[in-house]
Amino acid sequence: MKNLLNKLGSSLKAFGHSVVSGDIWVKLSLIIMGAGYFGRKQIMRGILMTLLEVGVISSIVGVFMPYMSKLNTLGTVQREEIFDIVTMKKTVNDYDNSLLILLYGIIGILVILAFIALYIANVNAVYRIQKMAEEGEHINSFKDDIASFKNERFHITLLTLPSLGVILINVIPILFMVCIAFTNYDENHQPPTYLFTWVGIKNFVNLFTTSQTITFGYAFVRVLAWTLIWAVLATATTFLGGILLAQFINHEDTHLKGMWRTLFVITIGIPQFVTLLLISKMFGDNGIVNTMCANVGILDFFKHIGLLSPGDACIPFLSRPGWVHVSIILVNIWIGIPYQMLVATGILMNIPSDQIESAKIDGANKFQIFWKITMPYVMFITGPSLIQSVIANINNFNVIYLLTNNYATGNMYMANSHAKECDLLITWLFTLTNEYSNFKMASVIGIVTFVICAALSLLTFSRMIGGDKEGVYR
Amino acid sequence: MKRKLVSALLVSTMAVTAFVGCGSKAEETSESTATANSGDASEGASSEDAIANLIAATEGTVNIDLWCSETEQYQTVMKKLCDDFAAQYPDVDFNITLGAVSEADMKDRVLEDVEAAADVFVFPDDQLEALVKAGALNEVAAQYTYDMNETDTPATVEAAQYDGKQYGYPFTASNGYFLYYDKNQLSEEDVASWEALTAKAEELGKEVGCETANGWYLYGFFQGAGCTLTENEDQSNNCDWNNETGLAAAESLQSIASSKAYKSYGNDDLLANLNDGKVVAYVSGTWNVNAFSEAYGDGYAATKLPTFKVNGEDKQMASYSGYKFVGVNAYAENTGWSMLLAEYLTNATSQEAVYEATGEGPSNTEALAKASSPALDALAAQSEFAQLQRVGGNYWSPAESLGKNILDGKVSQKVLDDAVAGITQPVE
Amino acid sequence: MKKTWKIIGRHLFLAFLAFVWLIPIFWLIVTTFSAQKGINTNHFFPEHWTLANYHQLFFEPDSAANFPAWFKNSMIIGVFSCLISSCFVIMTAYAFSFIDFKGRKGLMSFSLILGMFPGVLSMIAMYFILKMLGLTDSVVGLIILYSGASGLGYLILKGFFDTVPVSLHEAARLEGASEATIFAKIVVPLSKPMIVYTVINSFLNPWMDFVMVRLMIKSKDPKDWTMALGLFQLLQRALVNQYFAYFCCGGLMIAVPISILFIIMQKFYVEGVTGGAVKG
Repeated sequence: MKNLLNKLGSSLKAFGHSVVSGDIWVKLSLIIMGAGYFGRKQIMRGILMTLLEVGVISSIVGVFMPYMSKLNTLGTVQREEIFDIVTMKKTVNDYDNSLLILLYGIIGILVILAFIALYIANVNAVYRIQKMAEEGEHINSFKDDIASFKNERFHITLLTLPSLGVILINVIPILFMVCIAFTNYDENHQPPTYLFTWVGIKNFVNLFTTSQTITFGYAFVRVLAWTLIWAVLATATTFLGGILLAQFINHEDTHLKGMWRTLFVITIGIPQFVTLLLISKMFGDNGIVNTMCANVGILDFFKHIGLLSPGDACIPFLSRPGWVHVSIILVNIWIGIPYQMLVATGILMNIPSDQIESAKIDGANKFQIFWKITMPYVMFITGPSLIQSVIANINNFNVIYLLTNNYATGNMYMANSHAKECDLLITWLFTLTNEYSNFKMASVIGIVTFVICAALSLLTFSRMIGGDKEGVYR
Repeated sequence: MKRKLVSALLVSTMAVTAFVGCGSKAEETSESTATANSGDASEGASSEDAIANLIAATEGTVNIDLWCSETEQYQTVMKKLCDDFAAQYPDVDFNITLGAVSEADMKDRVLEDVEAAADVFVFPDDQLEALVKAGALNEVAAQYTYDMNETDTPATVEAAQYDGKQYGYPFTASNGYFLYYDKNQLSEEDVASWEALTAKAEELGKEVGCETANGWYLYGFFQGAGCTLTENEDQSNNCDWNNETGLAAAESLQSIASSKAYKSYGNDDLLANLNDGKVVAYVSGTWNVNAFSEAYGDGYAATKLPTFKVNGEDKQMASYSGYKFVGVNAYAENTGWSMLLAEYLTNATSQEAVYEATGEGPSNTEALAKASSPALDALAAQSEFAQLQRVGGNYWSPAESLGKNILDGKVSQKVLDDAVAGITQPVE
Repeated sequence: MKKTWKIIGRHLFLAFLAFVWLIPIFWLIVTTFSAQKGINTNHFFPEHWTLANYHQLFFEPDSAANFPAWFKNSMIIGVFSCLISSCFVIMTAYAFSFIDFKGRKGLMSFSLILGMFPGVLSMIAMYFILKMLGLTDSVVGLIILYSGASGLGYLILKGFFDTVPVSLHEAARLEGASEATIFAKIVVPLSKPMIVYTVINSFLNPWMDFVMVRLMIKSKDPKDWTMALGLFQLLQRALVNQYFAYFCCGGLMIAVPISILFIIMQKFYVEGVTGGAVKG
């Protein structure tokens, strides 16, 4: 953060200096951004820069300004309609749409910020070129510029499009939803017909203190706990399982390696929602697995060893807390191991064989080799991605949603805030928004989760890619 | 279009309130309002004039999107009705597009983006409130080709009102639930009460039941026992299920459900077990009419819901009466034409066609008179114990949970207290 | 002798695992031949066998199901988003692994944090952004949606790139190769297995998503849907009892392109990387 401020300060300082000591071209480019380049015969660059300026300014004025000006209230004119019985026509007033005001307002602000940064950088760049011209250095032609994007500025070439995509698909929506947490956007304030507005941190206060929403707090803690347990367990089991399976298949004694691998990978081929749905039907209270278990006496066996009470009519694989949690993890192992096996196969092929050879010569047994050589190597490559898969599991919608669609909770406190024991935060949010249009609370819960995850993973992440480790295997 | 002015009378909410207030004598009142309105010179323009105006003012193609149930029967009959509608106005070029949307999800699909949703859509009555609250429904300010107060049963018209305003065109009146049974295996005495029903089913080694872990059905037991559940103006609920009667009802239901023969199947499981010949009686609705009639063959029968014992007294199980409405989107591109289409889809002949295609009972009295089937008769028998569903959103999750507790045999005063606390929790 | 038993045991164990993994798939396959159109939770095998479901799948599109159109839509969306997102992932991973530019660490942490925000929440905003661009209900919109943020998934590939020796990179530079040349001619060919993994992953995501697409495609005409959306719709309460067998057929057919994809790409895994160059 401090870094950022310093940088900001220094670029502003440079900007001031450029403006003051720049020549006529630099000053001209305060108005026409391409001017400085025209002055140095960089015609192409000049045209591009000017076009960009015109485009951005006209879009700000034409598109975003009307929305940005209403950002403080999120709109004041509610929709009103008059239906004329005789002509059967409807007249509608010029109403505000809070949602669009917020969304376009955010985009407008981002565009303006980016434009200011570009503007400052542009003036500085023009001044730098002036300096270079004065000192008689070579000034890049347009061709040179293009070439530099293949070389010293190659990272810009690589990262521009992906970054734009991320901003569009990720950053803007996130900013938008973060803002929603500070509004009263719920089922009684739904645009376009009704307006919503800013309410400050009221929703956050509601999550933690008020007695009315006390079950929100109750449910939140439990859902969060299960989410974290799930994420860690799901990642660990599939990761280990995947490596072991890959090793097992790769072993020199295994024949038909390709066939075995393909058999497992077939399960990836079939979409998760198809298999998950099938599994949820198979393991339902009245499903085929239960029928079989009752027939071969497993049901009675469970009753005998006290896992089930004598009155139970079926094995509640997916319908009772505890049972459902174990089932979900097991099903996830089933889903996840083939994926992980794929990854692990690719990586295991690449293990420096000399290390294993020398370890063998030193008399290390298989387990020692696995834990001392294979695992550290795999961990090194996939370590960062492990955190990513923990996060992916925190947000793993499909498995939980499809498996527990028919689950009914017996816990009143959970039910009162529309949560279930087996809900992850993400499925809970989905229910809140999709069925109850409660966007404000969903956003608040989303943000709190996000903060927790971010804190946890930044801790681990900085240790894992802590710079010094990057070169170990090079 | 030869009809005289039938409408422009729902203009005022007064007509509606008068109507509601007068109960069974309402027909006279509404007729007199109609006369009063049509006699009024200032609003005296006839509906034919209005339609003529609309035709004259219409240029180019009229695009109307219509969303209704995705089942083949529905899509076919609605397609035909839309074509008939277009044929009625040869001077206008229509482009009516049919969309397949699951009725249970209609509200969710419409509210995702009201502006992009269909101009006309069919939805069940329990979604009316949410749709109105989001401002998605166009008020039925006037009617042009028929007057629903004259042609439709009062209960259905009333069900499509919210805050005294008419928001939907009554379409079907058979979305409630009742008991299907196999009369080859069960006698009329057997299906009269849950106690007899479960006893007989145990004896037969077959299954009977009701989806208890679902607030929609669970309501029937508590309401039947004499408890109340009502909605306040702010969408919170009043509920007294945790009083003595409620506890007795819950315990009674628990003992019924503890029978080996009693099952609480979701729809999929129900149909699978029905096809296997295990289920001999089940609480369901017209959406499953084909499945039951196929499974039971000549034993197919339906009746009102059974009674059950509360404090030693036989209580009739109540139910929610269910309706389907046709709604016009408040953001419809062509409000006038959309309203006319909605009217056309809900008039007597269309309702008859829908009944023939889908077996769903009409809300139009004329069409209803021609419709007769075991399922509709059972609904009619149940109707005196059926209430209009008006319940706030906080009801469903706690009720589902309560149902689950009952099935698990965990009924206690505390469970009921917690459920009621959840159901009645304040709405911000 | 003991060794033979061990080998047999090893294969038996594998066979057992494969059995566990394949049994739901097997159920899926036999259900496609079921004459009963609804779900049958009581029998593993159908009571009556038929091929009618396949005929319906390919030749009888109706008001609720149109498999050929779904397949085409999904294929177009899948292939294009797969191309774009694979490129994005490879580009991002390369930049973060090989180029030490200003702000690299910061960007990496930032991208990691971004990935943590629950996507379900931002779906509505994404929808309205696409609407602003006029891209709802269009294939292009969905391709942007699926591939736009794919750059965030660079970590595992970066981890792999990190094992490519710096010396290789430096040697190439000394010989006058530009970054772009090194990227295209040396690093990408070296990393085939991981790139295959990336490609498969980026194809699977749009191929199987049904949550996002449900919001983004407003058309209610089955011929405009994708495979996942269409199949998911068949499971709605009103349809499931007429279409479950159809659904299974569809699910099985989806698996075909993926399986082919994998069989083609499998040789990259088995061959591994040509050792010399890496260890160079």
